[in-house]
Amino acid sequence: MKYLPFQKSTLFLLAILIPLLALFAYVAFRSGPLAPIPVTLATVESKRLSPALFGIGNIEARYTYKIGPTIAGRLKRLDVDVGDRVEAGQLLGEMDPVDLDDRIRAQEAALKRTTAQLSEATERKNFAREQASRYEKLLKARATSEEIFATKQQELKIADALQTAAYEDLARMRAEMDALTAQRRNLHLIAPVDGLVAARHADPGTTVVAGQAVVELIDPHTLWINVRFDQVHARGLAADLPARITLRSQAGQTQDGRILRVEPVADVVTEEMLAKVVFNQLPEPLPPVGELAEVTVELPGLTPEPVIPNGAIKRINGQLGVWQVANGDLRFIPVSPGVSDLNGMVVVRDGLTVGDRVVLYSEKALNARSRIYIVDKLPGVAP
Amino acid sequence: MISLAGRDILYAWGKFIFTGFGLGLLIGVTLVMAGVYRGMVDDAKVLLDNSGADLWVVQKDTLGPYAESSSIYDDLWRAISGTTGVARAANVTYLTMQVRQGDRDVRAMVSGIAAGEPGMPGWPPYLVSGRHITRGHYEAVADIATGFKLGDRLQIRRNQFTVVGLTRRMVSSGGDPMIFIPLKDAQEAQFLKDNDAIRQQRRRTAENPAFNRPGVPGLLDAVIASQSVNPFVNAVLVQVEKGHSPEEVAQHIRKWKRLTVYTRPQMETILIGKLIATSSKQIGMFLVILAVVSAAIVAFIIYTLTLGKIREIAVLKLIGTKNRTIAFMILQQAIALGTIGFIVGKIAATFSAPFFPKYVLLEPADSVSGFIAVVLICILSSIVAIRAALKVDPAEAIGG
Amino acid sequence: MTEKGIRIRGLKKRYGSGDTAVDALKNVDMNVTPGEVVGLIGPSGSGKSTLLKCLGAVIEPTAGQMVLGDDIIYDDGWKVNDLRALRRDRIGFVFQAPYLIPFLDVTDNVALPAMLAGSPNSDARKRAINLLRALDVGHRAKAMPSQLSGGEQQRVSIARGLVNRPPVILADEPTAPLDSERAMAVIRILNNMAQKFETAIIVVTHDEKIIPTFKRIYHIRDGVTYEEKGEGRAFE
Repeated sequence: MKYLPFQKSTLFLLAILIPLLALFAYVAFRSGPLAPIPVTLATVESKRLSPALFGIGNIEARYTYKIGPTIAGRLKRLDVDVGDRVEAGQLLGEMDPVDLDDRIRAQEAALKRTTAQLSEATERKNFAREQASRYEKLLKARATSEEIFATKQQELKIADALQTAAYEDLARMRAEMDALTAQRRNLHLIAPVDGLVAARHADPGTTVVAGQAVVELIDPHTLWINVRFDQVHARGLAADLPARITLRSQAGQTQDGRILRVEPVADVVTEEMLAKVVFNQLPEPLPPVGELAEVTVELPGLTPEPVIPNGAIKRINGQLGVWQVANGDLRFIPVSPGVSDLNGMVVVRDGLTVGDRVVLYSEKALNARSRIYIVDKLPGVAP
Repeated sequence: MISLAGRDILYAWGKFIFTGFGLGLLIGVTLVMAGVYRGMVDDAKVLLDNSGADLWVVQKDTLGPYAESSSIYDDLWRAISGTTGVARAANVTYLTMQVRQGDRDVRAMVSGIAAGEPGMPGWPPYLVSGRHITRGHYEAVADIATGFKLGDRLQIRRNQFTVVGLTRRMVSSGGDPMIFIPLKDAQEAQFLKDNDAIRQQRRRTAENPAFNRPGVPGLLDAVIASQSVNPFVNAVLVQVEKGHSPEEVAQHIRKWKRLTVYTRPQMETILIGKLIATSSKQIGMFLVILAVVSAAIVAFIIYTLTLGKIREIAVLKLIGTKNRTIAFMILQQAIALGTIGFIVGKIAATFSAPFFPKYVLLEPADSVSGFIAVVLICILSSIVAIRAALKVDPAEAIGG
Repeated sequence: MTEKGIRIRGLKKRYGSGDTAVDALKNVDMNVTPGEVVGLIGPSGSGKSTLLKCLGAVIEPTAGQMVLGDDIIYDDGWKVNDLRALRRDRIGFVFQAPYLIPFLDVTDNVALPAMLAGSPNSDARKRAINLLRALDVGHRAKAMPSQLSGGEQQRVSIARGLVNRPPVILADEPTAPLDSERAMAVIRILNNMAQKFETAIIVVTHDEKIIPTFKRIYHIRDGVTYEEKGEGRAFE
C-alpha cells in the first residue's frame, strides 16, 4: 500500500518502454537490408503444354478490283455507291466521251460514205464488165475495134481495182469504227465480277487520270485476315492450323478459322512473319475491311514435360536459370527454357526435375547470399 | 547510493516520455528526410540495375535515353548484335506519359521491350505477381506503385493493354513507376498520335501539292502510309559476354558504328551527376538544414530541462553531493532522453516510409550515424547545461 | 572545552578591496558547546548570512579562526582540503524552506546525505526512518514531498540535516514560515536532538515566539557579535 506511489510510475514507464523496445527490435530486424526477403515458390510440374501463337492483323479482301478509265477524262456518271452489290458485267458508270460520240458519228458517216463509194465502185465495175463483155461480143462480130475493146477491158480492170480500193476503204472505216466503239465502250466502267462496292473515289464531273481507280470492288466472300507474327514467337507456324479470331469491335467473342497459307516472304524491317487466316464461317454482318483482329493459332499439343511459370526464369551473370530452394538453401540452377504457351508456362528440360521447388516471386532481386523466408503471398501485393 | 537520474525520470515519467516522443518525432523526420535523399539516388541506380544492361547505345552525342531524348533506327540492334563481345542486344523505348485505367490516370514510364523471353535486356528482372509478357501485343507488366492489379485494362494512346504481371521497385530515375509493353506497341505509342491529330496530319498532307499530284495516283497514300510508320527506338541495351570488358566492347561499337555508347559507370554519372543532381542537391541541403535545426532543438530541450533543476542541484550541492555525481545524473538523463527519442524516431520513420509517394530508403548506416549524432548532441548540450548548473552557488540555497 | 562544539575567534570577512571594500564581519567571537542551542539574532545587513556562510564553509573568511571539535577548520586560510566533505559530514543545514528533492520520497530525501557519505542504502534508510519517527513524521516515510504539509516538510528537512549526526547544525530561520505551535514544536525538536546527540546548534532567527526559549543568544550588529544571556523559557 505504501509502495504504490513509487510502483505506479515504474509500471507506467515500463508499460511504455517495453512495447517501444519490442517495436524497435522488430523494426531493426524485419525491415531494411537486414531483413530476410519474402519469396513465393512454384513447383516444377509435369504438364502437357498447348502452345499457341499470337498475332494481330487486319481484315482484307482477297481480291480488290480497282475500276477506272484507261485514258484521262472526266467522269460523266457513276451509278453505284459504297455498299452496293453489283453483278459481273453490270455497268457501274461512264466516263465523259467528250468528242468521242461526235467522232463516232463522223466515222459512221464516213462509213456510210465509204459504203456508198463501194456501191458506186461496184456499179462501175458491173457496168465496166458488161461493157467489156458486150465489146468482146462485138469484137467477135468484128463490129468494133480492138482498141476500144482494150479500153473497155482496161476500164474493167480499173473499175475492179477501184472496187477493191473501196472494199478496203470500207474495211478501214469499219476497223476505225470498231476502234472508236471500243474506246467508247472503254468509257464504260463495268464490274468484272459479282461483288460489293467498297470504295468510291471520284464523283461525276471529276477529271480522272489513266490508271486512277474510280470505284473499288471486293468480293465479300473472300475476306481474309493478314496476320503478323513476331518471328521470335512463330515457331511451328504452318498452313491449316486452327485459329481463333477476335475482332476488335467484338472483344470477347471469338470466331473459328484456320491458316490458309504462310507467306513465303516475311517482313524484313519489322521482323514479322506473315500469314493469311480465313474464317471457317464468315461472321454476319460482314466485318469491314481494315478492322483489326487478334488471332491465336493453336499448335498441336505436346507430350507431358516439366514446366515452370516464366516468372521464375532469371538471368544472373549472363546465364538463364532459376533459384531453386532445397532444404532451405538457395541455389541458382542454369536452365535452358524450351517451348512456352501463352499462359506463361515454359518447358525446362535440363537442370530441374518434376517436384523441385523454385522461387517464383520475390520482393527484391535475389543473390546467392540472400536470406529468404517463404510465404504464400507477398505482403502488400493483391493477386 | 541510489540512482538520482533514475528517480528523477520515474517521478516525472510523463514529462520525460512526452519529451522523448517529441524529440523522437523530430529525429524521425530527419531520418525520413535522409531516406528521401537516399531514395532519390537509389531510384537512379535501380533503373540501371533493372535494365539488365552492361552498355547503352544511343543516338550520337546525346545523353540518352534517360537524361536526354535519343532516337536510333530499330534495325541497328542487328549490327550491334554481331559485334565481338556482345552477348545480347535488344531495342528499348522509354516514354513517360499518363496511362488511363477506368476513371483514373497514372503517370508512368512506359517501356517497350523487344520480343523475346525473360532475361533479355530491358525485361523486368523479377516479378511479384503474374507472369511475363507472352503475346506480341496488348499485354503489359506494371509496377505495383501504379496501383494497377492483374487483369486491369490500361489505355495507352489508342490501344488497350491487359496487365498480366506485376513488379516492384521498377521505377524511372524520377521515381515514376514503369509499365512494360511489347516494343512494337510502344513504338506506335511513342510516335503515333491520337486519331484527331492523325486526321489533321492527313489533311495537311493532302493539301500539300507536292504530295497530292493528280498525275500520280497512289502518291498521297504512300506518303500517308510512310508517316504512320515509326522505325525508331530510344536505345539498344547490350549485355556483354563473359570475358570481355564492357569498356572495350563500347569502344568497338563507338568506332565502327558511329553511335554513342555508355557503360554502367558512365550512365551512373549521367543520371546521378546530371539528371537528378539538382533535385538531390536540393534535398541534400534541406536535409542538412533539418539536421542542424533538429540538433539545435534537441540541445535546447536538454539545456532547458537541466536549467529547470537548478534549485535541486543547488540543494544537492549543499548537502554534499559531488559535482561528478550531479553531472552524471544530468548526463544519464540526457542520454536516456536521446535514446528514447532515437528509438521513437526510428520506429516512426520505418512505419511512415511506405506512405511516401516516392521511395524512401532507410539505411542501417544512416540509423547508426543518426544514433551516434543524437547521443553526441545530448552529451554536448548537457555538458553546457551542467557547467551552468555547477556554477550555481550553493549559498543561494541559504537565504540572503 | 569538550571535544565537540564550535569555537570562532576574530572572524573577519571583507568583500571587495580598496575604496569599495565592505567589511561584512569585523570581529566575530562565538562559542557553542555540544548539546547547546544558541540563537543568533541581528538585523538584515548585520552580517548574519555572511557568518552562516562562513560557518557552513560555503564562503571563505578573510581572517580569523574557526574550530570544530578538535579540528581547526580555518586559521587565516582553510585548513581542510575537502570542504564538500566537511559540509556533508560535519555540518547539518536546516533552511527556511524545506528544499526537499521533489523526485525522492521522504525516506530517501532524509537518507541521501548518509548515502553520499558512503553508508549502504539499507543502513542509511534505517537511520532515516528512525529520525523521521523521532520527529513524528514516521508515518509519511513513503510519501513524496509534494504530498506533505508545510510543517511535515520542515520536519523532514530537519531530519535530513541530522541524518549524518553532524556535530554542528546551522539553522537559518527555521520557524519563519510556521505558526507558533509548529514553531515551538521545531524548537523543541531541535533541543531534543541537541541533547540526544550532543549536537551544537546555532539558530539564526528573529522570530519573537522562539527567542525566549534560548538560554544564550548572540547578537550581531555591524559585523560584531555580542553575547547575551537568554531567558531560557521552558517549552509549553
